[in-house]
Amino acid sequence: MGAKSKKSNADAVYSKKSVKSSNPFDTAIAQTAKRLNPFDVHVNKEKFKILGRICKHDRGLPGVSRAKALQKRSETLGRQYAVKHKTNKFVDHRIGKHLSGDQLTESVMNARFLSEKLAQVRASNKAEKFNLNDDELLTHRGQTLEEIEQYRDERSDDEDIDDEGLNAEFTSTAHFGGDGDTPQDRQTAIEEMISEQKRRKNEIAKDKDEVHDLTEKLDANYKELLPLVAKATKDEQHEKPPPDAYDKLLKEMIFEPRGSVTDKLIDPEELAKQEAARLDKLENERLRRMKADGEEQEANVQIPHRSADDLDDGYFAAGNEDDGDDILAYDLDGNLGTHLNSKREAGDATGQSDEKDNESEEDGENDDDDEEETEDSDSEVDNLSDLKESDSESDQGEAPQPKNKTKPQKQKTSETVDTSIPYTIKMPKTYEDFTELLAKYTPTQQVTIVERIIKCNHPKLEGVNRENVVKLYAFLLQYIKDMFEDASEQDIRLHFQLVAQLMPHLYDLTHLNPDRMSNTLLDVIKEKYAEYRKNHKVYPTLDTLIYFKLVSNLYSTSDFRHPLATPTYIFMQHILSRARVRTRQDIAMGLFIITIALEFGSRSKRLLPAVFNFLLGIVHMAIPKRQVDQIEIVPPFERDGPFSKLLAIPATSESKTLESQQLQAADLVTHTITLDFKVRALDITLRLVKQIFEEQIGEHTGACFLASPFLPLMELLPLKLYPKHVQQHFAEAKSTLECVAAKKMKPLAPPDKKPKALRLLEPRFEVVYDDKRRPKMSKQKEERAKLLHKIKREKKGAIREIRRDTAFVQDLKLKQQLQSDKERHEKVKRIYQEASVQQGELNELARAKKRKKF
Amino acid sequence: MKQPLAKKSAHIEDVDVSAKRTNVPAELQQKANAFLNSSNVDTKVLREIVYLLEEPECNAIGVMHVLEVIFKNLLKRKCISAAEKQQEKTKSKGKANQSNAKCQTLYNKAWSFLLVDWGSASKEESSVALKVCMQLILSESKYIYSNAWPRNALRSVLETLVNSETTPPTAVAAFQKYARCLDVLQMTYELLPELAPNIFADSPNMALNYLAIINLLDLGKTVLNAKEYHIGPGTDKQPNFEYNQTRKHLNAVWKGIIASCSGVDEKVHRQVLVVLLERILPHLQDPILLTDFLMDSLHQFDGPIALLALQGIFTLMQQQNITYPDVYQKLYNMFYPRMFYNKYKARLFYLADIFLTSTHLPENLVAAFVKRLARLALKSPTEDAIIMIRFICNLLLRHTGLQRLICATGAASAVEISDPYDETELDPVKAGALKSSLWEMSLLQKHAVPEVANAARFVSKSLPVVEFDLSALLEMKECDIFDDEVKKEVNHFTLGYERPTNFALPQNDIVTKYWDII
Repeated sequence: MGAKSKKSNADAVYSKKSVKSSNPFDTAIAQTAKRLNPFDVHVNKEKFKILGRICKHDRGLPGVSRAKALQKRSETLGRQYAVKHKTNKFVDHRIGKHLSGDQLTESVMNARFLSEKLAQVRASNKAEKFNLNDDELLTHRGQTLEEIEQYRDERSDDEDIDDEGLNAEFTSTAHFGGDGDTPQDRQTAIEEMISEQKRRKNEIAKDKDEVHDLTEKLDANYKELLPLVAKATKDEQHEKPPPDAYDKLLKEMIFEPRGSVTDKLIDPEELAKQEAARLDKLENERLRRMKADGEEQEANVQIPHRSADDLDDGYFAAGNEDDGDDILAYDLDGNLGTHLNSKREAGDATGQSDEKDNESEEDGENDDDDEEETEDSDSEVDNLSDLKESDSESDQGEAPQPKNKTKPQKQKTSETVDTSIPYTIKMPKTYEDFTELLAKYTPTQQVTIVERIIKCNHPKLEGVNRENVVKLYAFLLQYIKDMFEDASEQDIRLHFQLVAQLMPHLYDLTHLNPDRMSNTLLDVIKEKYAEYRKNHKVYPTLDTLIYFKLVSNLYSTSDFRHPLATPTYIFMQHILSRARVRTRQDIAMGLFIITIALEFGSRSKRLLPAVFNFLLGIVHMAIPKRQVDQIEIVPPFERDGPFSKLLAIPATSESKTLESQQLQAADLVTHTITLDFKVRALDITLRLVKQIFEEQIGEHTGACFLASPFLPLMELLPLKLYPKHVQQHFAEAKSTLECVAAKKMKPLAPPDKKPKALRLLEPRFEVVYDDKRRPKMSKQKEERAKLLHKIKREKKGAIREIRRDTAFVQDLKLKQQLQSDKERHEKVKRIYQEASVQQGELNELARAKKRKKF
Repeated sequence: MKQPLAKKSAHIEDVDVSAKRTNVPAELQQKANAFLNSSNVDTKVLREIVYLLEEPECNAIGVMHVLEVIFKNLLKRKCISAAEKQQEKTKSKGKANQSNAKCQTLYNKAWSFLLVDWGSASKEESSVALKVCMQLILSESKYIYSNAWPRNALRSVLETLVNSETTPPTAVAAFQKYARCLDVLQMTYELLPELAPNIFADSPNMALNYLAIINLLDLGKTVLNAKEYHIGPGTDKQPNFEYNQTRKHLNAVWKGIIASCSGVDEKVHRQVLVVLLERILPHLQDPILLTDFLMDSLHQFDGPIALLALQGIFTLMQQQNITYPDVYQKLYNMFYPRMFYNKYKARLFYLADIFLTSTHLPENLVAAFVKRLARLALKSPTEDAIIMIRFICNLLLRHTGLQRLICATGAASAVEISDPYDETELDPVKAGALKSSLWEMSLLQKHAVPEVANAARFVSKSLPVVEFDLSALLEMKECDIFDDEVKKEVNHFTLGYERPTNFALPQNDIVTKYWDII
């Protein structure tokens, strides 16, 4: 406080000095402001100013603090002293004895009253024992409350203005003379006035009586009316008509929760945008997983130039970021000039694609991913359109009729069927029940049933359903197994259709509880693998392949490492590299696995070596060989013998007329190899080869090592025997392969290492020397010394306090002594006074007697 | 094998115990008990029991166990005696001998039945039969020959093994346990030369059986140090196991094999080589004599036989200082895609690892190996790919000059080239591998199996400091990779985010592009 005031003072001084204010009262301090008397302030003078030391005791207010201490003592010690040697004291036992004034609320008062009453009752219990009307009469101003209530006339309260005094008009005329036309004398005037006053009073009384009468009347009438009114309202309630539709609607509208403002309707554009953003996010996440633990940058990636002074703080000089920037530099010939990177690239025809790749990978992950993303999606869209076209083409090519037929049929059935299936279906307990349930219906109905089971057993409806859904998933897997394990040529297509329709539901199911469902599927795959492992030279049953496809459809297979996709990959690799290829079924299954494997790697562009080996093997099998010929090929394919030329076609003309065809579902279940299958298989192989090298691995460095073995083998194919479309595919595949195989590569070099930062030396601070020489002590001892010091100081303080206490008490004693002395002195004086008066009277009497005598 | 010794005193419980173990029918058990409890030997009952073996539908294993117990007791009671002593006994004792003689014949009969039983298909049966035989040999030597070895019995056992129709004989697995006993080991080696089939080419089955037996007879240090005995350490009659003696027999056995092993088919040849490498080579007196045999095997065959021969030659090079001029070329040409499907590929990796240990090898030679391994890794099954990548990594660490395969100089890395390495060149030195670069590794980084992709990452990251231990990898199978992958702590199954509406994927579908199935 002192400091503050000082500062304000200083300010004032400063302002006085610098700015001569025009107003002389500007700096004046109000008379009433609480100010410190400068004589009250005690200042402890500081000899040296020490930096960093906070001084608490530079000034003090001895007067104030002394007064405070005194007050505190009188409140504590003084009280104690006052009741010293007292044997009893007055104790307040009332309820709420600590409350005062405003704090005394109604409830406290009531409680007090009650307790008081109880005490009274208790005291007079015996006397009042036989008192029947025990209720005490409460009084107010001597009257009982009942009486007061009886005579109370509330309505007269406000009107009771008996102004006994004279009215203003009269007084003004009477006292101040008025106009002067007062012919009558004073006597008559007064009389008149009195009579007037009386008349007025009478009138008022009369009015009052009238009003009273009328109100009485009204009251009586009202009392008569009252039952009628009550009845009427009740009747009305009874008679209330049943609410009609309008009322209902109204009520509903009233009570309907109103939509909150934030949930405004989203227009489709916004929705699409949100969806796109969501997909974008998911895609980015997928890419991150695909790369996995900061997977390698490409070996030949050039890191943009980095200065040795680069601090790695993520800050880039503005120009540095842009690669297409022009750099001022000497070229090989020693000419100074700007090199336009972009131009050079444009000129470089062969390395163009490579450069681009490098660039895109150079630019770092985040920025470029988006671009790539868009590119990807573009290309994907393209692919899709391609796909559709090819589909439609092939449809037209092979057999447009059956497809067209089946579609409308399907629609029809789905329309008619829905009514025949119950809407709520309980979850079957066992697998037998499940199959029984499904057996009753056609495939499309089965799908509806599954859908409805899912809906009825949605985990959000009930907790138990969580188990049910998992069970249903397991049942479905089992069902798939049963369907495909021993499928025949006739029903395989139906089974595939059913699985295709089940696919979205399986997807939904997996999303309900990803962990449990995935573990179920993983267990199934594990089981299948264990089965396959027993004899790894034989292809597994068809259902295994369907599970692979399921994995491909439901999971993000592009991940670098995926708990389900990776084991499946290994499984597929194992099958492709070990299982013997002897029948049409084997070949078809191998091709099926290859297509699934390609799906797995379609985004991540990963490769499975066995895929190439298998494709090579099929090309190898299609080459007709003489007995002695041996063309090198890796197992599971055979170098010679009948199995080495399974797909070789005889030199007849009928093969030339075959139509282009996709692989058929029946291929997966039949064993005999027909001519059309031979052509078909080779055709698909060629197309696959083209797709793999074009879309998937063509751009990887070293892809030529995979492509080159195909070329010599393909040269040996008897191309003339095959129909035109095969020849066309052959040409396409060959050109792609040649392109990939001829690719040149840059020798591997390790990525440039980051320039090592200069070693920075930490400044060395010395311990601050404070000139205090204390003995060095151990920590414990130091602590103890500190404590002892503290004790000493506290002790001192305590002694001082005690001393002051005694002084205070002595002071009190002295005051008391003086007080009592004074009283006694006065008493003595009075006694003397009285005695002297008495004596004087006596003397007077005596003197009078003497006088009489004399 | 100490259990029966302990059990001898209470033979009746013995029957019970063994009965419980093998579900012997109760009647048979009672019969056996009654037979053993009666003081006189009732040959009729014995005969009945023995001939039970001949009936096809009886519980052969149970009967065998019962017979084992019975004959052990009879041997203990000296009711059966060896053939030589019988003569004397007939003279000294009158009536009792008759039953003894009968017992003897029955005993022999039982032996022959047991030996026939080995031929039976059931693995369990044959192994039990062998076990019973060995137990009988044990008690025979104990009570009749006073701890000497019944040579004939063992001989008959071995003979049956060799002549067995199935290859390898089913009882071999059971015999393995006994082959660890030193006395059995010695006796077998002693007996084997007599049993060798004359010409391997004529009877490949017998030859294989014979080799299978030898394959069990391990004279390695662990066996010698274990000092297990079937009957017990030697006495004065039967001298203790002597390594030198056995070694002499072993050499005789090998001489027999090499003499009769001409014009054999590949399977037998391979087995001969395996036996040679595993069991015989370390104990041969003049291993240098093998050079011809091994060289022939190396040059005339390829695949596993050549590989085994190469291993043999390697041992000779190590121990006998023979020189073989183009051993590296031979080794180099053993790496070809088909070899992953060979039985002995682990051995090949092991050998190659040893051959290429020396840091004084010319760089271009090792570079050729590295390139070839890298090429093969692109075609091989997963587990081999991992081994080869690790191996390449080790080679780069050993031969630091080879690191130019992954660290081209700045000037060189700017120019694009096609691979100068010639895959078809037979001579590794001329393959031109040193000018190449390990692009295969960068392709392998795109391998679908994360193990492989991770292993190949050394190219773009940095080489490890210490070499990998290949021996742990050599035993790995494809299934192990699957199991490892499945066992990994699963944290999250990431799902696809596009809902498929039918069999095809929403994007990038390939299956339906090539298949007309829906």
